[in-house]
Amino acid sequence: MLIGIFLILIHWLFVFLLAPLFVGLVVKVKAFFAGKKGPSVFQPYFDLVKLSRKQCIYSQTTSWVFRAAPVVALASVFVVSLEIPLGILKAPLQFSGDILLLAYLLALSRFFMIASALDTGLSLEGAGASREAFFSCLSELALFMNFITLACLTQSISLSEMIGVNILIPWNLDPVLLLVVASFFIVLLAENCRIPVDDPDTHLELTMIHEVMILDHSGVDLAYMHYASAVKLFLFSGILVMILIIPFQTGNPVKDMLIFLTGMLGLAVLVGVIESSMARLRLNRVRNLLLIAFALAFFGFVITIWRG
Amino acid sequence: MTAWIDAGCIFIVFFALAILATYRIVGMIHIFALQSFVLGCVPFFLHAEALSARVIAIAIVTIVFKGILVPYILLWAIRHVSIRSEVKPFIGFGLSIILGSLLIAGAFWVSLSLQLPGKAVSNLVLPCSLSTVLLGFMIMVTRTRAVTQVLGYMIMENGIFLFALLLFDGMPTLIEMGILLDIFVAVFIMAIIINHINEEFERAPVAESRSETGESF
Amino acid sequence: MLLILLFLPLFCAFAVFLPVRRIFRGGLLCAVSFIHSIIVSSFWLKLPVSEFNGYLVLDSLGLILLSVVSFLFLIVSVFMVGYFKHEQRSNRTFTACLFILLSTMTVVSLSYHMGLLWIAVETTTLLSAPLISFHRNQQTLDVTWKYLLVCSVGIALALMGTFFLAIAAHDLHSLLLPALLNGAASLTVNWLKLSVIFLLVGYGCKMGLAPMHSWKPEVYGQATGMVAVLMSGVLTQCAFLALIRVAQICNKTGLSQFYSSMLIMMALLSFLVPAIFILGEKNIKRAFGYSSVEHMGILVLGLALGGVGVFGALFHMINNAIAKAIMFLTAGSVAQKYGSSSVDKIKGVIHVYPLTGAFLIVSLLAGTGMFPFATFHSELMILNAVIIGQHYILAALFIICLAFIFIGIARIVLEIVYGSSTKPVLANKENFFMNAAIIVSIAALVGIGIWMPTPLVNVLRAATVLVGA
Repeated sequence: MLIGIFLILIHWLFVFLLAPLFVGLVVKVKAFFAGKKGPSVFQPYFDLVKLSRKQCIYSQTTSWVFRAAPVVALASVFVVSLEIPLGILKAPLQFSGDILLLAYLLALSRFFMIASALDTGLSLEGAGASREAFFSCLSELALFMNFITLACLTQSISLSEMIGVNILIPWNLDPVLLLVVASFFIVLLAENCRIPVDDPDTHLELTMIHEVMILDHSGVDLAYMHYASAVKLFLFSGILVMILIIPFQTGNPVKDMLIFLTGMLGLAVLVGVIESSMARLRLNRVRNLLLIAFALAFFGFVITIWRG
Repeated sequence: MTAWIDAGCIFIVFFALAILATYRIVGMIHIFALQSFVLGCVPFFLHAEALSARVIAIAIVTIVFKGILVPYILLWAIRHVSIRSEVKPFIGFGLSIILGSLLIAGAFWVSLSLQLPGKAVSNLVLPCSLSTVLLGFMIMVTRTRAVTQVLGYMIMENGIFLFALLLFDGMPTLIEMGILLDIFVAVFIMAIIINHINEEFERAPVAESRSETGESF
Repeated sequence: MLLILLFLPLFCAFAVFLPVRRIFRGGLLCAVSFIHSIIVSSFWLKLPVSEFNGYLVLDSLGLILLSVVSFLFLIVSVFMVGYFKHEQRSNRTFTACLFILLSTMTVVSLSYHMGLLWIAVETTTLLSAPLISFHRNQQTLDVTWKYLLVCSVGIALALMGTFFLAIAAHDLHSLLLPALLNGAASLTVNWLKLSVIFLLVGYGCKMGLAPMHSWKPEVYGQATGMVAVLMSGVLTQCAFLALIRVAQICNKTGLSQFYSSMLIMMALLSFLVPAIFILGEKNIKRAFGYSSVEHMGILVLGLALGGVGVFGALFHMINNAIAKAIMFLTAGSVAQKYGSSSVDKIKGVIHVYPLTGAFLIVSLLAGTGMFPFATFHSELMILNAVIIGQHYILAALFIICLAFIFIGIARIVLEIVYGSSTKPVLANKENFFMNAAIIVSIAALVGIGIWMPTPLVNVLRAATVLVGA
């Protein structure tokens, strides 16, 4: 029992200490591409501390939903982080079917964010919320298709058994893996509001999707929302890197952890590079991009069924 | 070597799907060039143990003809056209991606009942070639612009060629070269006709309805 | 011998691009067709040796197609001399394509390897496209594009069928016809069935069988008369030869029932579709195009029935080619004189051009199978085979559809020939070469219709035995 609590704490420490660093790395890479020196990689930490000392301002048109959204977002992300194996850390929470819990907890937090945006009663927030809802439908489709493919490959529906240290059926460097990785990468970009789906640096409310939902929060609430999205990005990247490094597992725990951390670093750089080199897609093209992600995952699924 | 062959086949189908989802015609032509390049490398992987002059010849001919010459001819044919993207296809892009995925699943399902004789180096070649043929056919049928229809035809031919690589011993070299040459001449003539169509369109007075649909009919 | 037949036209195709007067090109085409005909006539006396290791072999089936090719090219080259007197465009590409077509069609009749057969048929498809778009306006270009796409898809399907055949013949390691026929027992049935379906659909597309016939009325409606003659008289028969080769393989491997049922289905569709659509036609060339679809159906029906049917189908190959020559050359000359092929613009031809008017009536009779033209005999033979096989409903449908098509064509032709005359666009002069070509074709058709020469009967019999149904 004590060991269990200890493991949970270690897991949380790992995730919650490193997540803002990941975001800082992405920002640093973008600044490098823009020819600037950019803020330090630890800037997100300072931002979070600054925000937590400020006062929350609530509009008079909002209700309890508006106040609940940041808390729900952070809490769901806390629980989800327990399910995901990272590097050599085993997931403290694993049972058969835990991918469904993962997907629906994320959906819960998204639901509350959309509801809080609608709660403010402003039109631009409503527009952004509707776009977020639409894109999340499509990205859920692709996400689940990926999980189904992985489930068929490894004959289990627990995330730890699919990609974790105690994987049931490990795979080699496989072309199907490329398809799943490509599809999951597009889902990562879509769920975490990166270019080419959404621009996290935009100042125009008309073009915001995720930003507009945290536009009206302030103070500690805003700190919670920023932290939650940073951790979400970190967790998605963690899953992607775990899928990628399965063929490269050596037995040595130190080496495996180093490989994992290198993978995360590489992924942060990749996200930064994509953000710097592409522009945001038009909204109907985003729909096509997510359908392509679905098509890739579906293709991988068909090949897996064909082989097995 | 099986992993390389599998990767090549998967990439070929992926590129066909990518052409299905692309808006810009120049982009489609470039993806097609990539696809032909991967197709040209597959003979090397299939016959890695017994590389003969024939294998090398076929691979090089494919890469040069389909990967370099055909895209060049197609780009030449549309050099005067100002509308450079696909205009109003019969099936929208999102729906065509979904339909394309279903066609791929259908091709795999059909391949379940087809048994290839002889030893099989990789069992992905047959379903992937059928998928490519079906995707090429779909591009041909649902698009309105002449260049896209030619691209669909060439993707069909790529799929058929991938299938033909399986039966290497059954076809003498001369016949295979003849087939490749024929396909090349086909594209050549199609490009010339497209060129005539474009010239005719440029010379004729621009009617309102024609300007919406490009040089299609 | 065979090599001269192949390479002489190819050589002349390059010679055409020299800067010479137009009349020389026409004359060169006439000369080469004449030489081609002489060589082919010598084959009637004695078949030549095979070339290229058994890839190019002339058997009696090939001889029939080769004679058709030769005769039609001769007629067209004579007609062309007269046609280009009034044409402004240069005939350089036209003649070059015609030369290469002559060579490739020869290869089709000679090829004994299924892959080589495909290459030759595909080349004929590709090279007939520039001929269709000769006048290069919006309509002809549209129609050329449609033809190119539809036939290219068909040819791609035929390529897949050829590859499936190669897989079925995996143990034999060869696609040469004698090897396939001798080793028929070792062909895998599943792959063979798949290959037969694809080959039928692919080559049927090229032939213009319904339901792949949609390009036919449009292309024949827009192309000039000579091109329509070559396409309907020769190109489609080349695809039919490919289907006959498939039938040879099927009959040896016990798939004859399977193949015949599919052929009969397509033949039935090819009768019904023109019968329905021809009644509303206003364009004479398009009407003749529908008639071509119907004749393809007749050919395929004869092949499906076996025995007398095959004899009739092979005879019909020759008769259909000559009849189409008469029909389309006449339509071409009328279209050139009046500047259009529509019934609205052309009326009362017999008063202005009596000879051309008479040719139109002859083409009506020849195209729908009336006595004394040879088409009557071949259609009667096929009908005979249908009744022998006790397919009474099929026979009834056959006759009814033929009647409808006769009504449709007669309506258009009679409207054009009689009635108050409209003013023609060109001068009131009949052209000697064009008329000569048509008269020779009529004479040939009537001649064969009245008296079948013994060598012809022998070759037809030998070919029927080869098909082996």
